[in-house]
Amino acid sequence: MKFIIGGAFQGKTQAACSLAKCCREDLIDGRICGFDEPERAKGIFAFHEYIRRRIRQQCLPEDIAGELFKKNPDLIIISDEIGYGIVPVDREDRLFREQMGRIGCQIAALSDTVVRVTAGIPVVIKGEWK
Amino acid sequence: MFIVVTGGSGSGKSFYAEQRVLGFGGKKRYYIATMQCFDEESRIRIARHQKMRSGKGFETLEWPVSLENVRVSPDSTVLLECMSNLAANEYFDGKRHTPEEVALKIERGLDCLLHQCSDLLVVTNEVFSDGTAYDPETMQYMECLGKVNQAMARKADEVVEVVYGIPLKLKQ
Repeated sequence: MKFIIGGAFQGKTQAACSLAKCCREDLIDGRICGFDEPERAKGIFAFHEYIRRRIRQQCLPEDIAGELFKKNPDLIIISDEIGYGIVPVDREDRLFREQMGRIGCQIAALSDTVVRVTAGIPVVIKGEWK
Repeated sequence: MFIVVTGGSGSGKSFYAEQRVLGFGGKKRYYIATMQCFDEESRIRIARHQKMRSGKGFETLEWPVSLENVRVSPDSTVLLECMSNLAANEYFDGKRHTPEEVALKIERGLDCLLHQCSDLLVVTNEVFSDGTAYDPETMQYMECLGKVNQAMARKADEVVEVVYGIPLKLKQ
């Protein structure tokens, strides 16, 4: 599994595509994809929105990271790195932010490579991109 | 040794900081808990942290404000968690303060601690990047925490940002 993180609008998907030698169309969109699609996709962008939708629908598996890793160990996960602000006033936002952090830790632990993208520049913070 | 551990929400900062404390060997361990319990949500949060550090040999000191009054034994390892809560408790204590006043008070408290213990680890929080259109009071609180973080980073032997459980050494 590979995990690409960073702030919004930093060129994460483009960086992922250039590292993985694929194009955006090869990846699925976490905002609209089916909940089982990441199990067989090459990669998913807006992964945090995928998680937010599953929380809202109350169908987020206990160990989403472990399940994805088991079913699709080569999945490329592209996700906004959230949680760098003041604790949100809204309860749902607060819980999502917290949960997304925990899931991010689990995905990072299962990934052989973690890349953080800032202003389009990918910095490998775990492993190496092969 | 003075280590500052920072990161976003849910980034694995606490777990990392606790592992570092264990790395300092069998010295007396203190955990300075700064979070106040207001509601069910904070109770759950506190319980999660208590569970995580249980069995790691910490003596917990509940210390929401006035760090300068903490007394610990010499040659101890102290883990303070979390600076963002301490700064909020000091800043929003019902009186009017400038960010500078609060930051200086906290820095003095940290100096007192550094003189007493052998190793100090402080967990703080990156709260500065998610939109900036907060109310003026919140912005002043952020300014205060920003000043404290900078002051700590100047004095620290090590500053580590934890990103989803991955430690990035910012100062070493």
